[in-house]
Amino acid sequence: MKYSEIIRLNHELEGALKETEYKVVILSNIMVHQSKEICEYLLRIESVNASVSIGEYDNIVQDSAKIQDVNAVLIFWEVCNFIDGLQYKINTLSEIDFQSLVEKIKLEIDLIFNNLKDMPLVLINKFTSLIFDQFSLPVSRINELTNELNFYLESAIGENVKIVDINKVISKLSISSSVDLRYYYSSKTLYSVEFYKQYFEYIKPIFLSTAGKIKKALIFDCDNTLWKGVLGEDGFDNIKIYQEIQYLALDLAKKGVIIGICSKNNPEDVDEVLKKHQDMIIRDNDIVIKKVNWGDKASNLKLIAKELNIGTDSLVFIDDSSFEIDLIKKKLPEVRVFQVPKKEYEYGLMVRELSNLFYNSSETKEDERKVQIYKEQLQRTKGEESIENIEDYLATLGLVLKVYIDDPTQVARISQMTQKTNQFNLTTKRYSESGIKSFILNSDKIVISIEVNDKFGSSGLTGLAVLCKKTSEIDTLLLSCRVLGRNIEYVFINIIIDIANKNKFEVLKARYIKTHKNPQVEDFYDKCGFDVIAKDNDSSMYSLDVDNFKYKNIKYIKVKNGR
Amino acid sequence: MEDRVKKVMGSVFNVDIDLIKDNSSPDNIENWDSLKHMNLIIALEEEFEIEFDDEEIVDSMNYALILNIINHKVVN
Repeated sequence: MKYSEIIRLNHELEGALKETEYKVVILSNIMVHQSKEICEYLLRIESVNASVSIGEYDNIVQDSAKIQDVNAVLIFWEVCNFIDGLQYKINTLSEIDFQSLVEKIKLEIDLIFNNLKDMPLVLINKFTSLIFDQFSLPVSRINELTNELNFYLESAIGENVKIVDINKVISKLSISSSVDLRYYYSSKTLYSVEFYKQYFEYIKPIFLSTAGKIKKALIFDCDNTLWKGVLGEDGFDNIKIYQEIQYLALDLAKKGVIIGICSKNNPEDVDEVLKKHQDMIIRDNDIVIKKVNWGDKASNLKLIAKELNIGTDSLVFIDDSSFEIDLIKKKLPEVRVFQVPKKEYEYGLMVRELSNLFYNSSETKEDERKVQIYKEQLQRTKGEESIENIEDYLATLGLVLKVYIDDPTQVARISQMTQKTNQFNLTTKRYSESGIKSFILNSDKIVISIEVNDKFGSSGLTGLAVLCKKTSEIDTLLLSCRVLGRNIEYVFINIIIDIANKNKFEVLKARYIKTHKNPQVEDFYDKCGFDVIAKDNDSSMYSLDVDNFKYKNIKYIKVKNGR
Repeated sequence: MEDRVKKVMGSVFNVDIDLIKDNSSPDNIENWDSLKHMNLIIALEEEFEIEFDDEEIVDSMNYALILNIINHKVVN
């Protein structure tokens, strides 16, 4: 898409999005003004209400000290403009001057990271010499410089910082398409609009992951998608398994991505391949959900999302047929669709690239077990259909909640829960790992996490509450969607009140902040007996007299201390 | 050609296409500052697959002049 088209559509999206603003600041020692609209547009089409501002030219250190209240900081720091014309001056610098330049930049790196240590997310590009060192046979001095600084960078970053390998973007496009030296010499604008389009497409999943918009499931068609050939026509013995694709899918499943099938086929034929075909890499065990029937795929994808209890905007779908791809684009535009390329050898590359969509800023133990967890979830859903009285059913589950308080070993998973949970989330506050860590160390905050167990297994850490002593308020209350529908939320509130009591809270305040994904908890605090003290369109404020709280007696859920 | 130039200008400066006249310039289009001028040139270069030289960038200070420069380039 052309730059002017991006600017136009970006204006149109501005204001159309209802979500809270996602603020990005770009700091740079070169001119990067074309990045603003491109970054905003690419995030806004994923319904992240991005607003990008650009720091003062060549003021990275100074600006880093001033930034407040933003979601992400991105740093473009180019060696060619450490000092004006460094790319051609560097070879004639004395060793002393070279070393003092290196020391100066290292010091600035420390200053910047220290200034930005409380930001939820900081992205910094690896220093690159590629542009000015294009074809030098010996290791050039500018290359030595970037190597040394990159090494230092790796050692200096905190948990909130991610390093972006900008050379990957430059190599994908070629140097000559990435930079426009005409503009560099006239106005210190180094990168082309082509570059920014590719660059922000590349790093977008990092933003999406911290904004809670991560993709969760990869759904495959079967014929000419998981294998070459049409099973119903060519037959079991004549299909050719796409092993590369299946290995890539298996790797994603290990990282916690849900793998599913949505195919027009006879279910028993597909099952036979999954169970018996000797070349298959993905087996029945690896597949969390299957919709193999002759119904339309848009309805089937909707069912898949519903049964997994995730949004359709968390789905990625691969199919070979233009008809099906088109149908999904029209009926479910929020689903990301990919068509199997005509050239078979490009298919692996496509899947490797789309794997970035599942980028997870912090992988945790739960991710590895997720396939199992989602399967157990489906089993529970099936159980629900056969028993009429839901309370009787819940009583058969053997539910046990394990409660943990301020547990420093859970920082990664707790932060991840704040970033990924959308539906049962009262305030939808996103916290980085460093944020959670500081809560745990801080005596003013109480971080309560719960693990849900039942006879099918453990759902892992799936609930979180953060209490603030100073304000007597529930700052965060969330439950992962995979444990909903079991009345766990009411037992969780009982636990919270007990802890509030122990900490001598007289009143407990709470807040509901509306998003378009959490209306199901709009009246949660009302149901728990909290009194509304203030209310407007987007939020409600509650208060509860702790002594007068009426505990809900839910006998079939046991509570245990986690430690 | 006229429509394409106006469309690009309208997008970059966030103004209605009908408001762009021969004498439209930084004097009467509020958003047309030096940074937006750069964005405009980059967008026009991409749209018409041409390159402006330094002098042309400086000269492109109203709609009629821009059209003239692009016409000249596209013909050649």
